[in-house]
Amino acid sequence: MISSLSPQPLIKPNTGTTLSPIPHVQNQRFKLASHVCPSELLSIRKRPGSACAATTQHRRYLLFPAEEEEEEREVKFTSDAPALAEELQRESMPRHVAVIMDGNRRWAHLRGLPVGSGYEAGVKSLKTLVELCCKWGIRVLTVFAFSSDNWFRPEVEVEFLMSLLESGVKEEKESFIRERIRISVIGDTSKLPKRLEELVINVVETTKNNTRFQLIVAVSYSGQYDLVQACQRIAMKVKDGLIEPNDVSESLIEQELETNCTEFPYPDLLIRTSGELRISNFMLWQLAYTELFFSQSLWPDFGEAEFLEALKSFQQRRRHYGK
Amino acid sequence: MQKVYSWACQIGNLGLWIIWLLIHFAVDLWYFALHIACAIESYLISSGILKRYKALDIDKLRYLAIVIESEEAYHIPAVIQLLQWLVDIGVKHVCLYDAEGILKKSKESILGKLNNATLFEEAGESNLLLDHKHITLEFASFPDGKEAVAKAANLLFMKYVKLGGSGKIQEEKIFTEAHMSEALRAVGCKGPEPDLLFVYGPVRCHLGFPAWRIRYTEIV
Repeated sequence: MISSLSPQPLIKPNTGTTLSPIPHVQNQRFKLASHVCPSELLSIRKRPGSACAATTQHRRYLLFPAEEEEEEREVKFTSDAPALAEELQRESMPRHVAVIMDGNRRWAHLRGLPVGSGYEAGVKSLKTLVELCCKWGIRVLTVFAFSSDNWFRPEVEVEFLMSLLESGVKEEKESFIRERIRISVIGDTSKLPKRLEELVINVVETTKNNTRFQLIVAVSYSGQYDLVQACQRIAMKVKDGLIEPNDVSESLIEQELETNCTEFPYPDLLIRTSGELRISNFMLWQLAYTELFFSQSLWPDFGEAEFLEALKSFQQRRRHYGK
Repeated sequence: MQKVYSWACQIGNLGLWIIWLLIHFAVDLWYFALHIACAIESYLISSGILKRYKALDIDKLRYLAIVIESEEAYHIPAVIQLLQWLVDIGVKHVCLYDAEGILKKSKESILGKLNNATLFEEAGESNLLLDHKHITLEFASFPDGKEAVAKAANLLFMKYVKLGGSGKIQEEKIFTEAHMSEALRAVGCKGPEPDLLFVYGPVRCHLGFPAWRIRYTEIV
């Protein structure tokens, strides 16, 4: 038996949910005390140690979003020196973490909630993750918010996502400025609704000089698109006589990729939630030596404990960069 | 009274600690037993006594890629044994990748040791359908990744220059994902997108496997 050729599992053990039946509750517009589903026969109980960003007893989820009832959780940051969790080593923290935020719809489906509630819960998880990254000294976080393949989803869902993105950016804009967070957006933004596109341009421009932390949001993005647009930009430089066609090299392509908006364009760690084992056309060029961590948690359930687990796993690995 | 209370607390804590240790021990014992059972099962499958893989439905797996870390890639006999297992299971097409190209350099010896193995580039459709135990092998290394994309891009740039490209529309017409895929095939990177990618080594990354091809590949 070739023990040295046994593949190490990339999947982490299930830290997710257990389900048990509860009495039927009439379906109506109301606040949920916890994960009680109003119309289905399920309750969700978390295993100890599996923290959920949006599932404390004080959080409420609505069947239909209502601004006056929805609890808004402001992004809190500490301006003190990064207070690292005990289990982590400061010297081997990743500088750039990328996340594929998968599992929002499944999370909502498990609870008998509309898909929109899943995405809203996902936004809360994202806020938590941004706070943790700032707290623990991670310099760049790239999140895969909307893939170019997602345009093929139902129109209602796409419109909801666009409006969620718009409201999220508007609400947090002041917070980003106050906390010196730089926002960058990668992807084909020409496909976004005009209002959202303008908002994105405005936020990117307003925060471009912030240096404390960078949040890169991939919207209408695909790895292949990134490479193709890099080639288009190089072609324009070739046309303008700035470079010769034969001078095109890997490093030139890398400079033109959209992820070149950051000091650390190559993620050290990629986390994908919901147990899927694919990178789904995300940052194809940039992930050559990125450590991959596939978490079984659904994205709205991905909180501090899950992030800690991913970071601990990262710190235990030996990275050779192919050498 | 206080002494009694404190004494009771200490005994209580000790009792809880012992219960915690016992639970911990029970869990450790359970996982240890599971590990032993897995090891025995693996041995029985490897030695051919237990043919669990006969029930596997391999039809979904049209193309398998295997990434081996360069240090491990020197163990050619181990690689050959892995390929023989894959042939037994019924896997038809495999791409072997290591960053430094060690497997590429050893391809003659690997092909020689396997029966009914041919290079992916030389295999034709008719060969693939005839023999159930036939396997095609593709050998890839780091230059087949980023360097190949740069070469493919150069091909497109030469075409762009020849057409006297001007304007954004021209760039968008020439530089598309489909054209890039075509250009990659023209520079020799003809392999399809793998359905599944195994990574062997201490790291959990694909070590520069041709990224253009792993958009939706399951990675284990």
